Amino acid sequence: MPQDRHPHPLALVIHRELMRIKRHPLYLAFLTAGVVFSYIFFITLMKEGQPERLPIAIVDHDGSYLSRRLCHELNATEGVEVTAVYNSHAEARHAMQRQDIYGFIEIPEGAYADLLAFKAPHMALYANNAYLLPGQLSYKTLATICRLASGAVHCEILRKKGMDEEEIMAMVQPIVLDAHTISNPMANYQPYVLTTVLPGIVGLMVAILTIYIVGEEQKRTTAREWLKCARGNMAAALAGKLLPYTFWFSLLGILGNIVFFGSQHYTLQGSFMSLVLLTVVYIASLQAVAVLITALINDMHMAVCVGAIYTTLAFTMSGFSYPVTSMPPALQAFSFIFPLRHHYLTYVDIALYGAPASQWLPHMLPMVALCATFFIAGLIMNRQMVRYETTK
Amino acid sequence: MRLLNGLKDIFDVFVIELRRIAADKGVILIFFIATLLYPLIFGAIYKKECVRDVPVAVVDESRSDASRRFARKLDATPELDVRYRPASMAEAEQLMQQRRINGIVYFPKDYGTDLADRRQAHVALFCDMSSFLYYRSVFSGASAVLLDEMEFVQTERYAAQGVTGEAVEEQLSPIPFDDVKLYTPSAGFESFLVPGLLVLVIHQTLFLGIGILSGTTREDRKTLEMIPRRLRHKSIYRVTLGRALTYLLIYMPVVAVVLFTIPKLFGLPHIGQTGELILFLLPFMLATIFFCMTAAAFIHHRDSGILCFFFLSIILVFLSGIVWPQSNMPDFWRHFSYLFPSTHGMQGFVRINSMGATLKDVSFEYHMLWILTGAYFITTGVLTYLENYRQLKRGELLRHIRLQRALRSNTPHKRHHLRAADKVDEAAQQ
Repeated sequence: MPQDRHPHPLALVIHRELMRIKRHPLYLAFLTAGVVFSYIFFITLMKEGQPERLPIAIVDHDGSYLSRRLCHELNATEGVEVTAVYNSHAEARHAMQRQDIYGFIEIPEGAYADLLAFKAPHMALYANNAYLLPGQLSYKTLATICRLASGAVHCEILRKKGMDEEEIMAMVQPIVLDAHTISNPMANYQPYVLTTVLPGIVGLMVAILTIYIVGEEQKRTTAREWLKCARGNMAAALAGKLLPYTFWFSLLGILGNIVFFGSQHYTLQGSFMSLVLLTVVYIASLQAVAVLITALINDMHMAVCVGAIYTTLAFTMSGFSYPVTSMPPALQAFSFIFPLRHHYLTYVDIALYGAPASQWLPHMLPMVALCATFFIAGLIMNRQMVRYETTK
Repeated sequence: MRLLNGLKDIFDVFVIELRRIAADKGVILIFFIATLLYPLIFGAIYKKECVRDVPVAVVDESRSDASRRFARKLDATPELDVRYRPASMAEAEQLMQQRRINGIVYFPKDYGTDLADRRQAHVALFCDMSSFLYYRSVFSGASAVLLDEMEFVQTERYAAQGVTGEAVEEQLSPIPFDDVKLYTPSAGFESFLVPGLLVLVIHQTLFLGIGILSGTTREDRKTLEMIPRRLRHKSIYRVTLGRALTYLLIYMPVVAVVLFTIPKLFGLPHIGQTGELILFLLPFMLATIFFCMTAAAFIHHRDSGILCFFFLSIILVFLSGIVWPQSNMPDFWRHFSYLFPSTHGMQGFVRINSMGATLKDVSFEYHMLWILTGAYFITTGVLTYLENYRQLKRGELLRHIRLQRALRSNTPHKRHHLRAADKVDEAAQQ
């Protein structure tokens, strides 16, 4: 068979690249170790899902049964833990500035006596918003407990008036809000942060590695031999060079997804196979953009810099933490060129909503479009090679 | 005299290092342009601080006066915007899937009648969990309306029983409370995140700059030049101190702009005392510089330095305790985070700058930074010594002979000989 005697140039380049990896396995090993480290780091760092038992304090000007009661109620929640009782506001403020506590509740003098006399003692809640997450969570728990305490007293009054339980509830809480957090019932931080940050880190590795290996061929003047191996076919040369890495990093991404949805039990409404497809397209689009960067910027150091800035900016521009819709319009358009942005949108469709393919494919299309930059890069590099040959 | 000599040596190293920095365009770019560019980018992205007018849908099956009032109030909150009123939940779910809305408020059929009959009425809220800021806006907007609406209904019900005025107030909330959100009252994203990131920008640009300088030097195999010839067998610490001094002086104006001017310019919180901040930032800068010099000893290529930089930046943001609270980190990672000056720097700066803390309040961070300064100063010295010693050993013999000859001859040609010795040195290395 003629194919056997003349293997496809793509196969030749893939073989050549595999041999190169075999000779210098350190790069790939280093990057893989980085990816594995980040998975372990993030999953163990946020193992609580939502911060629990945040330290708070009570400032007790009253010194009555009330503070003890509040303390018990607060400690019974999973959100906060009373770690100190202070005598003055100033002490609590200093504790806050020392970061010993994230919030405190101040009980005024004579609060208990006022309460018994129906004089509505005024409580004050303080929360530290300079640390957004713990500050808001501790505030939420404090406010809930205050409302519950209020409600309990209200119940007691009505009970003494001789109302029955049903009437009392209708009076104390006329409207009940049933809140449903779609596909994340525990309001867990992990699936929300990690499913975007970790693909982002993999993306950073892929982009820099791609720029490095392609740039290295030019720098070490092995580009001629490389192109010869591909029988002068630039597209085959590039594709053959990149495919082993596409495979390897897709594999890492898929393994990551198995950890997320298998062992960490994040919600997955859609099919796992669509996530596999998402990972492969994501890695491929990043490689394509990275090749384009290499083709456009001749200085490899500069190209690596640009590639790194591009992939780290993607964390912000993906909009998982701060929504893109709240950014200035110019930046909103700018977010289109970041594969991580489309990865995030597609992931939400598949995992959180279990949307049909007709829904998430449009989000994947921009990534496919970014893959097409691969051919533009090929053309540019081809021209560069031709110019290089003719000058020689 | 020894001291004077030492100072002179330090000054020489200072000049050499300054020349090296000036010769590298990339490093100049990082030290002076990137440090200013990053804050500008953050400022542009997070300009709006909060998520306002999040689109939601209201599915009203009760079609009552009460549910319409509720929906009207939802629309009036700064957080929410009732953009759709689909006829069924199925339609609303589809809107949610299409990402046109980030929340659904559902009134069941008997909402109005329940309220009219003085029973408990139920409202269902569905939050989009794709981003926590959406969740926060939808949840807090709906909660605020709920509380308001409850009070309205309760007042009505009491009025029906003939209880009005202040008596109602007392019964409704026997324990009223005021809430005070300290430091950033608007709970804005920018005022919370950016002050910490500014410190990280200082830390990381130094890391990248120093890393690139030594990576490039090593790529060019000029490692020996990290130490000027005259000092090679003398104190390593003069070299280390001299280099650190260079970075410290270069970064003084940078820190002044990034950490003092930019918060004011962008309207970020800045209630800290300038004196306290300067006192705190001194050990931070020193610890960072020595940390970076230590780390740079392991960077042998310019490009791996860049990769390390970006990778480390992401990890350091999460280790700092700004995003995920320090009190809730596993012990291992918390102790791990203490190894990086950025953790203490970000914590201390946020507390002094945004919360008006004093140096006493951040004494743990302050002392840790001095300890890190000492520790990394020693490691820098040891690593520099090891590296140069190893390099020296290779070409030592040849060099030694040439040098001795050059010194002995003591002629006007001495410089020429020395230069020849240099060349031999380079050849030996290659």
